[in-house]
Amino acid sequence: MTDGIQPIRAEERQARIEKARRLMRENRMDAVLMQGGASAFYFTGSRSNEVALMFSRAALGSWSGKVDLASKVLKDQGVSAGRLGVEERVRFELVDRIGKELPALEFVSGDPVTAGCRMTKSPAELALMQRANDITIACYRAALATLREGMTQHELSATIAVAYQALGVEGDAMAIFGKYTAFPHGSVQPQKLREGDLVLIDDGCSVEGYQSDVTRTVIFGQPTQRQRDIWELERQAQDAALAAAKPGRTCESVDAAARKVITDYGLGPGYKVPGLPHRTGHGIGLDGHEWPYLVRGNKRLLEPGMCFSDEPTIAIYGEFGVRLEDCMYITEDGARTFTKQSPAIDQPFG
Amino acid sequence: MPQNNDTADATYRSRIEKLREAMKEFGLTAVVIEPGPAMVYLTGVHWGRSERTFALVVPLKGDLGFVLPGFEEKRARELIHPGAEIRAWQEDESPYQLVARILKDRGIVSGRVGMDPSVRFFIYDGVRKLAPQLDYVSAQQVLKSAGVDTTSSTSKRK
Repeated sequence: MTDGIQPIRAEERQARIEKARRLMRENRMDAVLMQGGASAFYFTGSRSNEVALMFSRAALGSWSGKVDLASKVLKDQGVSAGRLGVEERVRFELVDRIGKELPALEFVSGDPVTAGCRMTKSPAELALMQRANDITIACYRAALATLREGMTQHELSATIAVAYQALGVEGDAMAIFGKYTAFPHGSVQPQKLREGDLVLIDDGCSVEGYQSDVTRTVIFGQPTQRQRDIWELERQAQDAALAAAKPGRTCESVDAAARKVITDYGLGPGYKVPGLPHRTGHGIGLDGHEWPYLVRGNKRLLEPGMCFSDEPTIAIYGEFGVRLEDCMYITEDGARTFTKQSPAIDQPFG
Repeated sequence: MPQNNDTADATYRSRIEKLREAMKEFGLTAVVIEPGPAMVYLTGVHWGRSERTFALVVPLKGDLGFVLPGFEEKRARELIHPGAEIRAWQEDESPYQLVARILKDRGIVSGRVGMDPSVRFFIYDGVRKLAPQLDYVSAQQVLKSAGVDTTSSTSKRK
């Protein structure tokens, strides 16, 4: 499933740097500091852990190299007393070191530049994400066909990793069974699959660095009425978020739309369990979780090209949890999912 | 010993004690640690790093404080030794505020706070904005002196 993948072209990376320079000027930054991670890869196309600098003045270009030289480069380029945007994952030790060498330099969050560029995706990026999502569905189809009584959650996880390998990509997933599905990130407690258990699988793979993230919750055997009802409620909450995700709306309004469905049913409110204990979704791209987030308090407006997970978990401790997660991208007309939503508790794939 | 933690209680307590001796020696009022080798060595807590802040504050005096995501609290409690204070933040709340409050509640209003060298900028930036009067320095030597190897790679999770 990896035939015909088109990596990001050099021209596109150059355009990203130009946009970054515009955002640096708007945010009064003289340069942005990165070290490894998705942001550095986004701009440089390199996975190296060297220090990378992008200067706001095009004439100063970009630089990457050894940690020891970063301060000297900043000084030589006349930025020893300016404002340096720092990529969010840069470690304290690097900032501390440069700060000692250039005490007049001001360190500010580089997010307006790095996230500002990364959060809207180009057609080429959307195509890579589509491929990653398609591969994840193929992988899950294969893995869920292997469910059997007595299987452990680790066996199912391992099967998913092997399926990804066979499909030509790197990927993995957590698997959660039974009452532990109420924990959004599972439990280390040993679990053996039994008739009537819900099975939850969640995570994704990577294509040219772009991530997929898909969750399916499916019944093993016959569901109870309670399981059916909560599963249906989850699907309605997911649908509500999808319908709300229109350009010009706020990120928090998408979370509110999903949460309202769950609260109206009598669960929650807020993050209270039984209910939806976390935000409805996260941005996704080169990082599995990235800016912006579909969370209360986030007034950022949705724009075409933004990509999010839509995953309002319903957690009922002591019983079970249900999460359906499909990623969506915003278009002029509204949100579209990369993957077909799960139609029913015993039908993970649409 | 917590359910999912391999570090014996006595080991945990003696390692924290040793860290505090080193803090005293180097003049640090607190140390802030993210998941990774230092957290594992000191507390036995294995946790994947993500965009959601999970941090440990070791004050020179007073209870340790863990700041962690609200919806992970149950899972986290299975890992954390008793005696530490757990402060959970909800998705629309500021974890940095909780770190700053722990520092304040422990009487840390001035002086030098050591940062685990692998702490990511967004956490440092969030805390320093709320507690700008503190002096943030690298805790590398202190951690080393307490027996923590901070040079090995930290665990990463997307």
